[in-house]
Amino acid sequence: MNIQVLYGTETGNAEMLAEDIVAELEADHAVAAVNLADFDPSEFDTGTLYLMVCSTYGDGELPASAQPFAEKMAAGKPDLTGVHFGIFGMGDREYDETFNGGPATLAALMTAAGATQLGERIAHDASGAEMAEDLAFPWAEDIVAMAGDALGQAA
Amino acid sequence: MTGQIAIIGAGPSGCFLAQALLKAQPDLRVDLIDRLPVPYGLVRYGVAADHQGTKGVTRQFARLFERQGARFFGNVSIGSDVGLEDLRGAYDAVVLAAGLSADRRLEIPGSDLPGVHGAGKLTRALYEHPEAEALPELGARPLIVGNGNVAIDLLRLLAKSPEELEGSDLGQGPTDWLAASGIEEITITGRSPAAAAKFDTVMIKELGKLADVSIRVMDAGESDDPDAQKKLAALDALEGGAGARRITFRFGLTPVAVEGTDRATAVRFATAQGEETLACTSVLTAIGFDTPGDLPRDALLREERDGGLAEGLYATGWFRRGPRGTIPDNRADAGALAERILGALSPDPGKVGAGILAGLDEITDYDGWCRIDSAETANPPPGRCRAKITTREGMLGLARQEDTQ
Ligand SMILES: Cc1cc2nc3c(=O)[nH]c(=O)nc-3n(C[C@H](O)[C@H](O)[C@H](O)COP(=O)(O)OP(=O)(O)OC[C@H]3O[C@@H](n4cnc5c(N)ncnc54)[C@H](O)[C@@H]3O)c2cc1C
Ligand SMILES: Cc1cc2nc3c(=O)[nH]c(=O)nc-3n(C[C@H](O)[C@H](O)[C@H](O)COP(=O)(O)O)c2cc1C
Repeated sequence: MNIQVLYGTETGNAEMLAEDIVAELEADHAVAAVNLADFDPSEFDTGTLYLMVCSTYGDGELPASAQPFAEKMAAGKPDLTGVHFGIFGMGDREYDETFNGGPATLAALMTAAGATQLGERIAHDASGAEMAEDLAFPWAEDIVAMAGDALGQAA
Repeated sequence: MTGQIAIIGAGPSGCFLAQALLKAQPDLRVDLIDRLPVPYGLVRYGVAADHQGTKGVTRQFARLFERQGARFFGNVSIGSDVGLEDLRGAYDAVVLAAGLSADRRLEIPGSDLPGVHGAGKLTRALYEHPEAEALPELGARPLIVGNGNVAIDLLRLLAKSPEELEGSDLGQGPTDWLAASGIEEITITGRSPAAAAKFDTVMIKELGKLADVSIRVMDAGESDDPDAQKKLAALDALEGGAGARRITFRFGLTPVAVEGTDRATAVRFATAQGEETLACTSVLTAIGFDTPGDLPRDALLREERDGGLAEGLYATGWFRRGPRGTIPDNRADAGALAERILGALSPDPGKVGAGILAGLDEITDYDGWCRIDSAETANPPPGRCRAKITTREGMLGLARQEDTQ
């Protein structure tokens, strides 16, 4: 399967996780990590699965590297019907009101444009005991399995 | 041989730079040198004990040493153990990422009085930095001068009850000190109006969760700016509470003098209306940081352009920019500087690199740090995620264990 791991980050935690996910999946799939800052919504393709990994900044906002993407989505209003994505969020429960606000915003941007979210949005807590990759690897495998069906039908 | 780079300081700016350099050129030799036996700078000794999530960034830095091939040389002070010029002679490029550890002084009469403490000095004592002074007596009514995030960190810690420190890495000594502090009232003062205060809105919101405080916000004023309005709304939402520790926010107060005969007992401020004197039992200044003077920072930065100081010499992080900016800002700097360094690098195979450190005693390496880290996290006391080794000797003892076995 063609997979892109799109990450939105500010201090690099989401980037490191995206690279770990690539390493985990690359034996079986054509997979690459791409910074959301370097990705244009016109590149979305219904034959590719998008695994999005995104952190949270400020007061529940998107991290710096996801902000240009959000602006391009707002400006270009792309139709993402048929595009499939899963989303893994990163945040910190110390900011309880706005916990994982960034990935929530990103998921909403995608679905509002017509894309289909596969699986639940996972919310990693930097203050919690669990390592991001311990949550993310099983998540990625689940989403890939779901996409096997979904992309098969779309293609 | 593709070049040898020494980075002075293994704080976030040094680590992010090493990460960017090694990502761009994986076979580069990158050595991080720190005066402490342990890495990570202010992530370990500045970021608040109750903000463990923020410290999670060290997992990335660990990768640097574990997978990207960077090396750590701890317990080496550049400027005293090894001269900067000697280091430059040994490496193809040297980067100053030494931060700014001294407290900026409040330049007003009385600021030398006992009972006036800098935030850097106090946080080092709270977080058990090996060179910290003893925790001071603050009395019942400390007054904080400054309105940045560091001032808010201090306020929050001083206002927390013991239960609210669950999950932190605040040590036993500081925990006992805090529990016995007898603080009844904390006043925090800023020069600017609230709308222009430097603290982040989230830092203010977090104060709303404090369990045992009552908060008063005086003369916060108004603003047309949407960001400032958020700040004001967050302050407004803090008002009230019936807890034991009283917190008062004051704005538009410029300190003119610390008063007291043998100890600080009040601060006199200039205000829009004239002058006002606030009584207190101690004064905590959180007004920025400065060079401790071990490296001639001003002279070094005189010709600075985009992080370049001289041929093969660069600066980054707080050392370059001044005491502003959070951890993410240091990462943003690193990418551009790495490109610049690599663009100018002309490796000289004759350079000795870390050979220059050969004669020094008790250098710690990354494995030594891992032994210290394991010892600290293996059996933390209840309610704590880590019990720091507090002395240099203790750290060195653990770090060298492997050699003696
Ligand atoms: C109290 C406090 C709380 C903070 N809280 C947060 C927060 O919650 N979130 C956030 O994002 N940012 C926070 N910051 C800001 C953040 O810590 C800085 O942006 C960051 O640490 C700057 O990184 P640096 O590498 O330039 O400096 P530092 O982290 O200070 O690292 C410098 C390193 O250089 C070493 N060094 C110094 N001199 C020498 C020498 N002569 N030879 C060898 N080594 C040397 C030091 O030992 C140190 O390890 C806080 C800052 C402070 C002061
Ligand atoms: C200044 C700052 C603000 C943050 N704000 C939030 C927030 O509002 N909500 C949240 O869930 N996490 C917040 N976080 C936590 C980060 O999202 C978390 O540390 C994450 O692992 C960072 O990933 P990154 O390195 O990929 O950016 C904040 C972190 C910082 C340093």
